[in-house]
Amino acid sequence: MSTTTATTTAPEQVEAPQKGFAGQNVPRKEDKRLVQGQGVFVDDVRRHEVGYVHFVRSPYAHAAITNIDVSAALALEGVYGALIGEEVAALTDPFFQLSVPPGSEIKDYALAVGKVRHLGDPVAAVAARTRELARDAAELVEVEYEPLPVVVDPERALDEDAAVLHEDAGSNLVWSGAFDWGDFGAALEEADHVVRIERLHFDRFSSTPLETSGALVEYDRGTGQWTLHANNQFPGFAIIMMGPALRTGMDKLRFVSQDIGGGFGNKICTHPQLVALCLLARKLDRPVHWTEWRTDQHTGNSHGNERVFLDVEVPVRSDGTMLGFRCKAVDDCGAYSRYEPLGCIIWAQVTPGLYRWRNVHIDFSQVCTNKSPCGPNRGYSRMQHLWFTERVIDIVAHELELDPVEIRKRNYIKAEEMPYETPNGCVYDSGDYARCLDMALDLIGYGSIDEKRRDAESRGKLLGVGIGSTLDSGTNNFGQSQLLNPDLQFSGNNEVASVKLDIFGEIVVTLGTTPQGQGHETVASQLVSDILGVTPDDVHVRAGHDSYWNSHAGFSGTYASQFAVTGLGAVKGATELLADQIRRLAAVILGADGPDGIELAEGFARRRDNPEAALPFMACGAIVNANNAGLPDELDDVTLNCRYVYKPPFQVPDKERKFGNLTLTYAMQIHACVVEVDPETGVYEIVDYAAVDDCGNRIHPQIVEGQVHGATAHGLGAAMFETFAYDEDGTLLTSNFYDYHVPHALDMPPLKTDAIESPSPFTSLGTKGMGEGGGAGIHSVCAAIQDALRTAGNAIVTDSHNPYHRVWELLRDPETSRALVKVEQR
Amino acid sequence: MEPVTSKRVALTVNGALHEREVEARRLLVHFIRDDLGLTGTHIGCDTGNCGACTVLVDGAAVKSCMLLAVQADGATVETVESLSAEGELHPLQQAFSDHHALQCGYCTPGMLMSAKHLLDHNAAPTENEIRRAIQGNICRCTGYVNIVEAIAAAARGR
Amino acid sequence: MLLSEVGYARPAGVAEAVRLLAENDGARPLAGGQTIVNVMKARAAAPDVLVDLADLAELRTIASTGDGGLSLGAMATYTQVITSSEVKAARPVLIDVAAQIADVQVRNRGTVGGNVCSNDPTNHLPPVLVAARATMTIVGPDGERTVPADEFFLGVYMTAVGPGELLTSITVPPLGGAGDGFSAITIGADGTCIVNAAATVEGDGARVALGCVAATPVLLTAAAEEDAVREAVRGAGLEPPSDVHGSADYRRHLAEIVAARAVAAGRGGD
Repeated sequence: MSTTTATTTAPEQVEAPQKGFAGQNVPRKEDKRLVQGQGVFVDDVRRHEVGYVHFVRSPYAHAAITNIDVSAALALEGVYGALIGEEVAALTDPFFQLSVPPGSEIKDYALAVGKVRHLGDPVAAVAARTRELARDAAELVEVEYEPLPVVVDPERALDEDAAVLHEDAGSNLVWSGAFDWGDFGAALEEADHVVRIERLHFDRFSSTPLETSGALVEYDRGTGQWTLHANNQFPGFAIIMMGPALRTGMDKLRFVSQDIGGGFGNKICTHPQLVALCLLARKLDRPVHWTEWRTDQHTGNSHGNERVFLDVEVPVRSDGTMLGFRCKAVDDCGAYSRYEPLGCIIWAQVTPGLYRWRNVHIDFSQVCTNKSPCGPNRGYSRMQHLWFTERVIDIVAHELELDPVEIRKRNYIKAEEMPYETPNGCVYDSGDYARCLDMALDLIGYGSIDEKRRDAESRGKLLGVGIGSTLDSGTNNFGQSQLLNPDLQFSGNNEVASVKLDIFGEIVVTLGTTPQGQGHETVASQLVSDILGVTPDDVHVRAGHDSYWNSHAGFSGTYASQFAVTGLGAVKGATELLADQIRRLAAVILGADGPDGIELAEGFARRRDNPEAALPFMACGAIVNANNAGLPDELDDVTLNCRYVYKPPFQVPDKERKFGNLTLTYAMQIHACVVEVDPETGVYEIVDYAAVDDCGNRIHPQIVEGQVHGATAHGLGAAMFETFAYDEDGTLLTSNFYDYHVPHALDMPPLKTDAIESPSPFTSLGTKGMGEGGGAGIHSVCAAIQDALRTAGNAIVTDSHNPYHRVWELLRDPETSRALVKVEQR
Repeated sequence: MEPVTSKRVALTVNGALHEREVEARRLLVHFIRDDLGLTGTHIGCDTGNCGACTVLVDGAAVKSCMLLAVQADGATVETVESLSAEGELHPLQQAFSDHHALQCGYCTPGMLMSAKHLLDHNAAPTENEIRRAIQGNICRCTGYVNIVEAIAAAARGR
Repeated sequence: MLLSEVGYARPAGVAEAVRLLAENDGARPLAGGQTIVNVMKARAAAPDVLVDLADLAELRTIASTGDGGLSLGAMATYTQVITSSEVKAARPVLIDVAAQIADVQVRNRGTVGGNVCSNDPTNHLPPVLVAARATMTIVGPDGERTVPADEFFLGVYMTAVGPGELLTSITVPPLGGAGDGFSAITIGADGTCIVNAAATVEGDGARVALGCVAATPVLLTAAAEEDAVREAVRGAGLEPPSDVHGSADYRRHLAEIVAARAVAAGRGGD
């Protein structure tokens, strides 16, 4: 379509692809509008007569609402109206709950009804002519609370005397279950040592996308149609939650977005706010516009799960072979469970991590606490579990004085064992972990690490090296939800794409996804180009998402590391259908010997035996769309408008054994981290860092590498700076970017990357999803700190979050952490 | 002179003079986005930490969420929309695209303005100087790796 | 994020500014706005009137005082300080410290007056100015007065500048043969200080001002060598705050270290 500006620095603009556009770093289609500030993010969408909305939020972590009076707010000039919990309870049904009892009994509405359960819980919403007036009006809403006792410690949430958040459930337990595979008892018998770790804690943080949530919601009274311009990243889930709540059909909820400023899972659970906006739009008969402010996001929307692993037992042979593990896991999902019960199962996609241990027992429970509700933050549930496996192997090596590299290689699943069935029936598709570990170590100069250690010592610093291995399991089998709740009617997965030749032959692609920077328009166009024999400039991919494009299904959205498999699978399917139709049409028009006699190349459908006999796509489109008289009946189904639903090959898992393949692909990242710790202050610096990834075939290596950079930064932020810390009253202490420090440019270490491609045998393109990453930054920093402290007290790192003050504590008092670990000789 | 709760201001934004009556409490970033319809400048936080709102005021990079519109009365403001005249990308914009220095694009306008401010004052910045120049711009997607590369490339004229 | 309604005035001169501050209850000066606008966005405070000092050109000058010292106009921005040859000649520590504050955008707007008058205990300049024996010039309805730095900071967010008054300049005495130093441990690079310390080493003695550990900078004197400095800090009976970035114990421990480092830097300076 357009030509590029002529600079000598433009990346390779290949005209006639030898090997195709897939695999090349083509310029991103999204960039032109984004670098010019012409992106359309949700707050950029404008309507006349809009009501700006501000949510009134609870200042208490747990309280009964005894009275709400909006009259003063409504009296303010310029205020259009308000909405309170009582109205919501009358007009909507509580959101569908994923769990079984007691979690299923939770009543979750768009606004707090009767009581508030976390600081920031929305109690009312006001709409006004300007943003400032809405904020002023919110201050005039009078809410009377009776504070209740607060629960902030997940390990105390099930105590006899713990305050219960959801009376209907009668307990703070959302779900519990036991997972048992192999024979842990036998593993204990066989072991030469048992390493026992009393407690490992994965801390609460989130990826905090720079664009907060928001929406502009319109309601058409004549048709009962809501249009939500919203940056929700999983509309499939949102409409399933919202439709029944609003007592409306799902098609009445049209989701539209163009550009989304990061999601990382934090834009999945915004359905409560969206329902409130739908009600307001209908009640006030005007569009309503909500912008979430940063503090609102931190206090009320989507933290990553906090998880505690207790009473960990690891039977090990003397040579370092790990035979299995047993533990209790307590997952803290915050005040409302929403999507989170799935997290009770989702970690099982990567039960053994990267290792070959076969005997596993976990008693898993998820509890509510008076903290912000959690959402599926980047790495969701697998990251917590993989951190656990990495801490385990690191601590085992540390305590048994085994080499951390050798013990990993001994225990890693080997390349030749792939595809590898894990103890619970997941099938790891491909990978070469040991080779990638060597690559990562090479990048940080592991061979000369002793010299680096001595050099650091001479400057008064403690040097440490840490390895972080992780997996990024992608393309969920939603059948795993039935392991959570056998009555759920979800399984498999899907994504949709439509590809058409438009009226005059323009190639138009419509996706079902909601990209937030992953470059879907670009990557889709590479694939389409290769199949249709054109260039990416010839392929117009519609930007963003719109339910009205009818190019979506129940699982549509952008989440959980799957676009390269599901989204591209749909694009491939649709494009191949289109290619087939073009060939059939051209064969008839050009008198070729059947569709196989036609090739698609250079923008034409032409006869293989006579390339001069060629139809440009423009002609194909025009014939079918505007000039179809006289076409033979056999071409009646040639519409040149092809919609395809990609469906991965899944079965519903065995609910009894909790056994079966839960994800289709397993990308891998292995990180190596070098830190220098100031033993006096606990302040540490990452002086070298390497990340090696393997996500199978890479359609756009530069985009893949960008995801690795970003995932690393998120991991390092969580390791060093980021925590959602609460005091005992349930007050969030890090409620904005002032106190919740995220990595800035000067905080990032020198970052080296490398990659291999182990194609997945299970996907049509050999690709694997890879966006989330798996949190290896956290795993490697923990290991590096523990290594550095070897000669200064030999503390054990048992927490995922290690700011300077925690490192200082470990230096000052290593014994407290050491007391958590015991090695038993058998 | 007595205090007023709103006043008429005149700002030159991207070369064009704009006069508006504005409340004293209105932040410059909301004036730019809502009153002038220039939505390229973004908001990412509420404590002045993220820099998504960075614009140039009288040639200096500032966070427009920490300025009232009335404070900019009489000033010259440049936003991301000023970088590409007639659809020709500024070398920084081209470099950002070439080097994949943006993913979701939300921090990008502010990042570009900080980068422009740097290159306006320092034609050959070191890596550390580049990082210092964008230290007030948070990105959650890229880890800054490619952003630093892109700015360095733009400085080198490549 | 959104401010309450506020009155605004932009006087052309100091006298006018003082009049506006004195005549309007709940009036606050608006300097760079890098603190007060944030505070108002959070609605943690809502002044009734903001008196914008932007047009007070006389408050923006940085000048040598003839004796080797420095006069900093209260409205001088951090960027002005960093690029000032007068500052470089007289008290270069101010450049090192200003260059560590936040980021370019904040430094382009934030002012030295704003930094000292907001007196957030984690601010950078109060300890530096206390150690350096600076004096603050305040103008009010009753005229002009000077207050030495170690009497200027009264409490969290509170200084000797009263309602209706304006800080107009900060005078920093000449270094003479002394040496200045500054050290901080921060939340991330150039981030908010967890602890900081400024030192001015004069001969064998050091004036050390500790920040972040109390409502106002804590001034100590000690022999200018590590053990004496650390002991002075330990003996100061500090009761620093505990928060998510560090416990009281941690801050107490770090205070010793940054004090010693600041003094070492000050010694390196002669």
